[in-house]
Amino acid sequence: MKLLKPSWVSHNGKPIFSVDIHPDGTKFATGGQGEDSGKVMIWNMAPVLREEDEKNENIPKMLCQMDNHLACVNCVRWSNNGLYLASGGDDKLVMVWKRAALIGPSTVFGSSNKLANVEQWRCVMILRNHTGDVMDVAWSPHDVWLASCSVDNTIVIWNARKFPEMVTCLRGHTGLVKGLTWDPVGKYIASQADDHSLKVWRTVDWQMDANITKPFTECGGTTHVLRLSWSPDGQYLVSAHAMNNSGPTAQIVERDGWKTNMDFVGHRKAVTVVKFNPKIFKKKQKNGSSTKPSCPYCCCAVGSKDRSLSVWLTSLKRPLVVIHDLFDKSIMDISWTLTGLGMLVCSMDGTVAYLDFSLDELGDPLSEEEKNTIHQSIYGKSLAITNTEAQLSTTIIENPEMLKYQQERQNSAQANTAAAGAGPESSAPKVNSVMNGESLEDIRKNLLKKQVETRTADGRRRITPLCIAQLDTGDFSPALFNSAPILPSGSSMSNQLAPQLNSDSSPGQPSSLGLRPNQDGMLTSPPANSTNKGLEDNNDGVKSSLLLTSASKMEPMKALDSRFTERSKATPGVTSAISSTAGLTPLDSRPKDGISALKDAKTKEETSSDSEDKMAAINKNLAFGKRKPELLMDGGEVVEKRKKGRPRKDKMAAPIPQSFTQITSPPEREPSKAVAPPAPAVVLKLPTPSTQKSFSLQVSMEPSVFLDVENEMSVVAGSKLSQLRCSRDGRDWNTLLPSPVIVAAGSSDVLAVACEDRMLSVFSCCGRRLLPAIQLATPVSALHCSAHFVMVLTAGATLFVWDVPKQKALVKNESLLTILSGADTTVSQSLLTQQGIPVIGLSNGKSYCFSSSLETWTLIADKGDSLVQCADFRSCLPSHDAPVSSGPLAVMQGRNLNAGRLASRLSSTPHHLQQSMTLAFLENQLASALTLQSSQEYRYWLLIYARFLVNEGSEYRLRELCKELLGPVHRSAASSWEPTTLGLHKRELLREVLPVIGENLRFQRLFTEYQDQLELLRNK
Amino acid sequence: MAKVQVLNVAVLDNPSPFGNPFQFEITFECMEDLPEDLEWKIIYVGSAESEEYDQVLDSVLVGPVPAGRHMFVFQADAPNTAQIPESDAVGVTVVLITCTYRGQEFIRIGYYVNNEYTEPELRENPPLKPNYSQLQRNILASNPRVTRFHINWEGLADKMEDSENVDPSPNTGGMLPPSCIPGKMPPLGQMPDNSMDCM
Repeated sequence: MKLLKPSWVSHNGKPIFSVDIHPDGTKFATGGQGEDSGKVMIWNMAPVLREEDEKNENIPKMLCQMDNHLACVNCVRWSNNGLYLASGGDDKLVMVWKRAALIGPSTVFGSSNKLANVEQWRCVMILRNHTGDVMDVAWSPHDVWLASCSVDNTIVIWNARKFPEMVTCLRGHTGLVKGLTWDPVGKYIASQADDHSLKVWRTVDWQMDANITKPFTECGGTTHVLRLSWSPDGQYLVSAHAMNNSGPTAQIVERDGWKTNMDFVGHRKAVTVVKFNPKIFKKKQKNGSSTKPSCPYCCCAVGSKDRSLSVWLTSLKRPLVVIHDLFDKSIMDISWTLTGLGMLVCSMDGTVAYLDFSLDELGDPLSEEEKNTIHQSIYGKSLAITNTEAQLSTTIIENPEMLKYQQERQNSAQANTAAAGAGPESSAPKVNSVMNGESLEDIRKNLLKKQVETRTADGRRRITPLCIAQLDTGDFSPALFNSAPILPSGSSMSNQLAPQLNSDSSPGQPSSLGLRPNQDGMLTSPPANSTNKGLEDNNDGVKSSLLLTSASKMEPMKALDSRFTERSKATPGVTSAISSTAGLTPLDSRPKDGISALKDAKTKEETSSDSEDKMAAINKNLAFGKRKPELLMDGGEVVEKRKKGRPRKDKMAAPIPQSFTQITSPPEREPSKAVAPPAPAVVLKLPTPSTQKSFSLQVSMEPSVFLDVENEMSVVAGSKLSQLRCSRDGRDWNTLLPSPVIVAAGSSDVLAVACEDRMLSVFSCCGRRLLPAIQLATPVSALHCSAHFVMVLTAGATLFVWDVPKQKALVKNESLLTILSGADTTVSQSLLTQQGIPVIGLSNGKSYCFSSSLETWTLIADKGDSLVQCADFRSCLPSHDAPVSSGPLAVMQGRNLNAGRLASRLSSTPHHLQQSMTLAFLENQLASALTLQSSQEYRYWLLIYARFLVNEGSEYRLRELCKELLGPVHRSAASSWEPTTLGLHKRELLREVLPVIGENLRFQRLFTEYQDQLELLRNK
Repeated sequence: MAKVQVLNVAVLDNPSPFGNPFQFEITFECMEDLPEDLEWKIIYVGSAESEEYDQVLDSVLVGPVPAGRHMFVFQADAPNTAQIPESDAVGVTVVLITCTYRGQEFIRIGYYVNNEYTEPELRENPPLKPNYSQLQRNILASNPRVTRFHINWEGLADKMEDSENVDPSPNTGGMLPPSCIPGKMPPLGQMPDNSMDCM
């Protein structure tokens, strides 16, 4: 065994929490803490394996670093096919990375490490669902699923073929879940958590198969991770930290009955990580020895908090090797090469060790075929995963229809990947058209002249940035970045600046542009160490010279340093608001400044950078007291500027109660089309439109119907007459009314006008009076016509709806008292659906409709409803961008639905809560659509609802839904089942729902059951 | 994760006479289409002693920003010399480029700036009253100091508060290094609830 600690693998001394070797063995990834973010780094394996490569400066060591995680990265794992890298971190996110092969080297801007990224790995997917730190991620065999576990006690299974789709969320742990491992044959996934348990879950139905607690009862939650591992033959599952007789062990769990009879003993502290060698070995055949085939065995590495590493063979009673003092701190992760002979180990101390074994030590690895044979002999053909199979799961598809849907799904998935694969090529011409064949260098020279600058309405400069590469499928176009990496000036300047700061002469330096080409040449070559060293030396030179020239300025420098990390005082928002209030009421300003100082301090803590910065920040806080008056002036000035720019921002950014009382704006009302700006609300007195001399309106688009009203146009025998003129498809009619018309409304069927004398007249589309004038108790507040229905909302807050042809009242003098609770509530919107359902929107965000069958007000939308805000059903929306239904429900809920979907992206609500909220929300939508008799919306939400049930796996509700849609198969008198709802045939709806159900293999029995019954009914 | 990553800032026209406008060529990458503009600002720190002398040289809106890689040149006039304390005119100070989205600063790029006389005589005997016409501004372009802030990219304030209430992982047993405290979001840069109406 050979041991190597490549010192160059480091996160600048910060802890490395995870390591994983790429399946092809040419690179490996590390994850951990970065400067002020989480960090994922990809390294070249060759310099680890060969000393000559390590010394060869032309061979890059670091291939790529990614700072995208906002907080510490706890786990990095390559997919089995090597195309993707998944990472999980304290920022609650799982990111999936893919290599963008066509972009040249670049660096992370502003990072102290000036090494270029040789390979470009780009985050192609962010998986949000966890509400706590993600501790471990694991790809299932064949990359069908990706599992992630978190301190939110859950495990999420993601559909790796269709990110960001979630397959399921496994709940049951009552403590932080810190490790995951898949069964090599894909039947189970096991998880270990701080709740003293190891749980095994079935992948067929995602239910818990075993809950193993006994070996863990004595365990405390002292380890950062609990990375357990499944043996490559599938026979054993080995846990991380377990206890046996008060000693730390790694518990061996047998697949057969989940027996816990054996363990790996010997570590002095908790076991943090167990990792099986991917190979199964058999004893090395020595020449001359007996050819009797020996039993195959597995090899397992165990890392512990006691900083030591042990490697075990299942054929031996004692460890093959134990290595102490390899690290200064706990071992965090282990990764084997796919050959089974190499192993990388990483530690909290920020270092990595490589172990190289020989065949003599471990034995002869079995070939993949032999391994498959073992799998098949143990698990049978149906379970064994062979390399040619790329099936979705191990479940056998029993139903040909089901198979069809599954295949359709796979085909579309393949089409997607094919499209993705074609992405870079297809996007290239697009970029070219943007660039017109210019080189990036040309563009840069003229960028200032060329870029489009406009002024916004409030006079601010607005620059339209020049798009230099489009972002399709995560890969950038090759057109631009092969030749010229954009980073010349940053590094070239150091050469130039150094002499200038050092020597006191050399005034006429050439401009930076002049130097650039030379530097480009240097940078395009792989980052040779000499070059980098040179640059670094120069940097140091600059730094020291800077310090020298400004030795007298040390104090100010410190103050300056703090400025780098501190949020701008000039940013709009809380701070400027504070200073603005302070400006208004200087007497009260002191305590508030204290608050602002506190807030600043908090900000600084958040942007955890190096300790030096923190010190400066603290200094600065101390200095705050002295600088108060200055801050005030500063703030005042900024606010001055701001007011010119964007006055509304100022108003918004005023969270101080004091200023609130000054700015309190009148309660917002949305005046509806028919309602004139509402007068101050008198209790239960709705605003009425004022009388106008004349007005006209279009009441229908198809056919186009216009109404013209001219009040008091002629005086006949002392009484003033008003004229109503209607033009429909070019044909006119008119009629006279004795009293001025206040409001008019119409549909393609009927027209209605309300007059000052509280009379309502209804005409047919041709001008025939349909009803005698109706006398209302109070003036009309709003009037609507739809189809052959007329709706009146009176100022006395009562509602009428008439069915004109039937000459019948659907809603009779119904008071709005029930829904107008609270003094401030007014009617902000009212409408009448095509089915004659009156809908009232209130200023408090609630919308009601009056159900004439239930004879009650029913709530159909509530903008303040937290369910609306938190419901997350994005994954259930129809795949093709079908326009969101545009029925009355959508009108009343407006874009608030969008807001809800936005909110859900910030997944800080626990998933189970969100799931219930979404379910409740969708059911509300269905019920509302039903009450509104809006059939298209009902269908739309029904399909979303069904998809949601399928995704979340709630069979109970799904079954109820199917049952309701199918109805009784045999007609019986007792049944009250209606074959249609809102004019939609329920069984037709079921036919639409079934393919959705067919997408989840779990429901194949349900699918088959209803598919068969539908067939039966059709044949009848 | 930040939707906007600054890939590079090239300092153009550097070094240059003090009165020349600042020019920064900014290259950034955006993960997805941004519904709102980015606001960029150049702030000149007039004196290390006090923020009183900070000058916002200019602020521009940049948009629309579709997903992809973009660049633009941000040019802003030189600072108003009347607002710089005379004792701080010569020597080292800082220029800051900040970018905000929905009113929240998410990146701050700082450069040291060295203002020096080019004439040896002036260097030796700097005039009491700074002679700005003779001053040369030199931005230490090789050493940008980049600070990134966590912000709420979706612009919904209430969720930010929620994230604060989520219990950070308890008792990880001192295994976390001090710099790895599970990140709480700063309650800064929130928008009042009625922000949607104001937009």
